[in-house]
Amino acid sequence: MITVKDLHKFYGSGGSRSEVLKGISLDIEEGEFAVILGASGSGKSTFLNVVSGLEAADGGSVCYEDQDISRMNDAQASRFRKEIVGFVFQQYFLLPGLTVDKNVKMGADLAGNKNYRSLIEAVGLGDKLKKYPHELSGGEQQRVSIARALAKKPKVLYLDEPTGALDEATGRRVLDLLCRLQRELGFTMVMVTHNQNIAQTAGTVLSMNSGRIVERRRNSSPKTAYEIAW
Amino acid sequence: MIHVKDMSKMIGISIVSFCAVFVCALFLNFYLDLIPAKALIHTDAAKILYEAQCSTAKVVSIVSGGCLLFTTAVLLCFDIGHYIDARSRQLGVLKALGWPGFSVALHFWAFGPPVLAGTALGYAGAHLFMPVFYETQNKDGFLPDISIAFHPGLCLCLVFVPAAFFSLLAIACSYIKLKVPALRLIREQSLQKAVPAKRETDLPFLQELKKSNVRQRKSLVFFLTFSVFCFASTTQMSGSMTELSSPLMAYMILSIGVLLAAVTLLIATTSVIRANRKTIAMMKAFGYRAGECSRAVLDGYRPWTYLGFALGTVYQYVLLKLTVTVVFRDFEDIPAYEFDVPAMFLSLAAFLILYETVLWGYTKQMKKISLKEIMLD
Ligand SMILES: Nc1ncnc2c1ncn2[C@@H]1O[C@H](COP(=O)(O)OP(=O)(O)O)[C@@H](O)[C@H]1O
Ligand SMILES: [Mg+2]
Repeated sequence: MITVKDLHKFYGSGGSRSEVLKGISLDIEEGEFAVILGASGSGKSTFLNVVSGLEAADGGSVCYEDQDISRMNDAQASRFRKEIVGFVFQQYFLLPGLTVDKNVKMGADLAGNKNYRSLIEAVGLGDKLKKYPHELSGGEQQRVSIARALAKKPKVLYLDEPTGALDEATGRRVLDLLCRLQRELGFTMVMVTHNQNIAQTAGTVLSMNSGRIVERRRNSSPKTAYEIAW
Repeated sequence: MIHVKDMSKMIGISIVSFCAVFVCALFLNFYLDLIPAKALIHTDAAKILYEAQCSTAKVVSIVSGGCLLFTTAVLLCFDIGHYIDARSRQLGVLKALGWPGFSVALHFWAFGPPVLAGTALGYAGAHLFMPVFYETQNKDGFLPDISIAFHPGLCLCLVFVPAAFFSLLAIACSYIKLKVPALRLIREQSLQKAVPAKRETDLPFLQELKKSNVRQRKSLVFFLTFSVFCFASTTQMSGSMTELSSPLMAYMILSIGVLLAAVTLLIATTSVIRANRKTIAMMKAFGYRAGECSRAVLDGYRPWTYLGFALGTVYQYVLLKLTVTVVFRDFEDIPAYEFDVPAMFLSLAAFLILYETVLWGYTKQMKKISLKEIMLD
């Protein structure tokens, strides 16, 4: 379970100092699929970075089970990310000099996962193992990045607008893949998006507006990626 | 388009051109001033000394000055290439917007001024140092008083020609680089020119990364090897110089060699890190430790640095042996030259300390690389 209490984050200093997260409190159950919905600039990415231990908080606390992430030093945060967190970025960020299988191996090695090839097949790229990232389409790159994140067997998968750079057909395919894998493997999934429709696939929807969570909704019957409008 | 902030990063270029011109100006000026003195020499002892001085001046300015000039050229080409690679995307956008490649390339004349600053200071520095230098060269008083003259031709060749040359080189380099399609520049594909592995391997990720890094960046491998080569040869040469020539010259070569090697090593490692910033940030986000990142990124180059050291050692030995046996063969009191083992170990130790310090510094710096920074990039 992830528990966030009165989380604050500032950027800049002096006169240009601005509060990006203005006291966020929420919790996310284990095995839950939560979507954080908000307009561009509302602080979603910042929130995700802080909750996943990529950035330090300026106030409040973020706990995963009984570990307080906001109090961790660099080494501890790095270990936490290694053992608990998987991250998928809007811009994929694959390593350009390495082939698909080596990119996925980057995640797999952290968990001693020898079986990572089956994940590449699960995301439908079994025939592209030896391709380099620039030889792949956007959707394919995003699927590699998902395989890479899952290969390290994360307890929580964070995704920052994973379909934001994809067209509709590809976006649906990636979203569908994510939802299915989440149900099969049972990890916790926290996805950030500005797309209202995508929120319908999640069990929990948290709406964010200029640094605050303004609404929390439970979704008793989540739709599949092919049932929603885009 | 090229900002002052960027210029400050070119300080390495200034330092290297300073060193090169300093040494060349010192010896060449001395040589040029020595020629008219020939008419005033009558005794045999003075004649022999005169010849020796002439050869030394020639050999040193050709060997070390030539070496330094070569290093400068390599360093500059490397820096220019790297600078353009780092701005590949901006340049691509300019090109995509319809800017003619040549007018963009013209902006790169700005590489000239840092070189000019270095060469001008080097030349001025040499002139300031000349009184002391001339005195030690003629400390026995065998030669007539050699007065310091200003040679405009030398000044032109050592100060203005290199600056102009490197301005043009930068323009030409960027023009060639800009000839590729705009989209390729924007996607930074010149950087990601994936060089496939010759053999399929199934190593742990960190080792795969290490190997791929060396494979993808051959120019860096060369550059790093070269900088260690310079370090090894200059430091060991100066050790032997104390016996063969004057201690003053030994110190000069030593300090210039160390300075050069430090600058090139720093530039090389900085570019390794800069080229790998995204990879490092990504690895850190996944939970790899900073030490693991720096080792994966930099350790692949280590064998090459040792190779550079070995080559530099052999090179300086052969060079000095040749100098002693060929140039000074008519002189009886020149000591026989033997390979200097302690000097080699000293130099190796110094190199290891330098290299490890740089690595350590970068590991510390790597802790600061944040994902945020590259996401906003
Ligand atoms: N490094 C930074 N320095 C200053 N301001 C920042 C920085 N990162 C984000 N911001 C600001 O914080 C706000 C929220 O950004 P972000 O979390 O990226 O929003 P979202 O992901 O919802 O679009 C924006 O107004 C943005 O300008
Ligand atoms: Mg965002």
